[in-house]
Amino acid sequence: MISVKNISKHFGRHQVLKDISLEIAPREVVVIIGPSGSGKSTFLRCLNGLEVVTEGRIVINGVEITHSKTNLSLVRKEVGMVFQRFNLFQHLSVMENITIGPRQVLKMSKVEAEQRAQALLEKVGLKEKAYSYPDQLSGGQQQRVAIARALAMNPIVMLFDEPTSALDPEMVGEVLAVMKDLAREGMTMAVVTHEMGFAREVGDRVLFMDEGCILEEGAPGQLFNNPREERTRLFLSKIL
Amino acid sequence: MSFYAIVSAAMPQLLYGARLTILFSIAAIIMATILGLIFALFKLSPFSVLRKIGEVYVHIFRGLPLLVEIFYIYFALPMVLPMHKWFDPYFAPVAGAIALALNEGAYITEIVRAGILSVDRGQTEAALSIGMNGFQTMRFIVLPQAFKRMIPPLVNQFIQTIKDTSLLSAISLSELTRQGQIVISTTFASLQIWTAVAVIYLAVILSLTALSSYMERRFQIDQR
Ligand SMILES: Nc1ncnc2c1ncn2[C@@H]1O[C@H](COP(=O)(O)OP(=O)(O)O)[C@@H](O)[C@H]1O
Ligand SMILES: [Mg+2]
Repeated sequence: MISVKNISKHFGRHQVLKDISLEIAPREVVVIIGPSGSGKSTFLRCLNGLEVVTEGRIVINGVEITHSKTNLSLVRKEVGMVFQRFNLFQHLSVMENITIGPRQVLKMSKVEAEQRAQALLEKVGLKEKAYSYPDQLSGGQQQRVAIARALAMNPIVMLFDEPTSALDPEMVGEVLAVMKDLAREGMTMAVVTHEMGFAREVGDRVLFMDEGCILEEGAPGQLFNNPREERTRLFLSKIL
Repeated sequence: MSFYAIVSAAMPQLLYGARLTILFSIAAIIMATILGLIFALFKLSPFSVLRKIGEVYVHIFRGLPLLVEIFYIYFALPMVLPMHKWFDPYFAPVAGAIALALNEGAYITEIVRAGILSVDRGQTEAALSIGMNGFQTMRFIVLPQAFKRMIPPLVNQFIQTIKDTSLLSAISLSELTRQGQIVISTTFASLQIWTAVAVIYLAVILSLTALSSYMERRFQIDQR
């Protein structure tokens, strides 16, 4: 589904990703953990072309997105992304936030787009908020809308960049619940998060990133209980 | 003659001038807004050539006195480019409107650019991440949010544009200021006529202000 081969990313002289390779299979849920500044966000952003890699290849569903002739918009509509700070369109209602992609990008009719949006809102438990605006919602509600907005494009992969770390603690659960449902339905997911419960429950694999490298990977149980690397152990002791 | 009698005798000529003032203002505002939008996008473009063009445009047209720009386009350019023939017999109004538009457009470029930059980068990233292209992102996500914040500075600039049309009197366009001068040259009623001219300018500008606060309220409520 996703094949990453030897990618590197530099910001000027600063190398943020160092020769990373990774395969993500269909229906797989990969959880990425690691200290702040280790390159987790940059890595996810490379996967949908929000950042351009300086070296290496990324192939998603048979399309090489790192090829200069690839139309990134076509790739991005198949790769959903959920941001730490939600990034809902502030001037649009919840309904419009969810339908604008299908209508403008997929050229779906308004009626069809709104029907699907309703179904998605039901799925994330926000049916009654369709005509609210983002600033009238709590953080947890906004993030659930953001997930619905991404799902409205019918993506084949979903990327989550610390989706719960900007939330008050009491709202973390409602967002994780939606993500767990998605994982159980078979969505292919790459999730940057430090929610160990989530990783253990639905994660197939956990990657530990450090200083731009994937230092260690394994099944959640193995990596959390018996990390091979000292650095992983140290990091886990800080967040657990 | 009474104040009232002098002013009402001159009124048809003054209103004729006011009409031209409004027409020049509208033409200049529309063209300047289009120029401002284009050059703001140039200045924010990933292509350094376009950025440079945007910068040069703003530097030149914001850097020169408007009167010099008007004279340059009306008197100097025709020496190398037969524009006066292309637009004959309307060269004066065309040159005047173009000079105004280019000048105000430079200020509007900066207003639009600041407005676009004030929209959080996350909005653009979210739009791109659902597959919108650059144009759709600007059109549906960034510009609507930028526009709301641009209304107050744009209105200021539009008011400035209306006032600046008075400089067109220097190339004998019969807008309000010029009409005032003409009336005074036969009636010698300086005080009365300039008072009337001032009142008409204020009326035009105050109606624009009223319109804009109405729009600002509307956008706040409907469009957020
Ligand atoms: N646009 C950018 N320009 C320059 N440096 C950046 C940029 N984005 C991220 N970085 C740097 O890249 C490194 C990795 O950042 P990031 O991917 O956000 O890490 P993480 O998400 O793991 O905290 C950091 O040192 C950060 O300062
Ligand atoms: Mg991050």
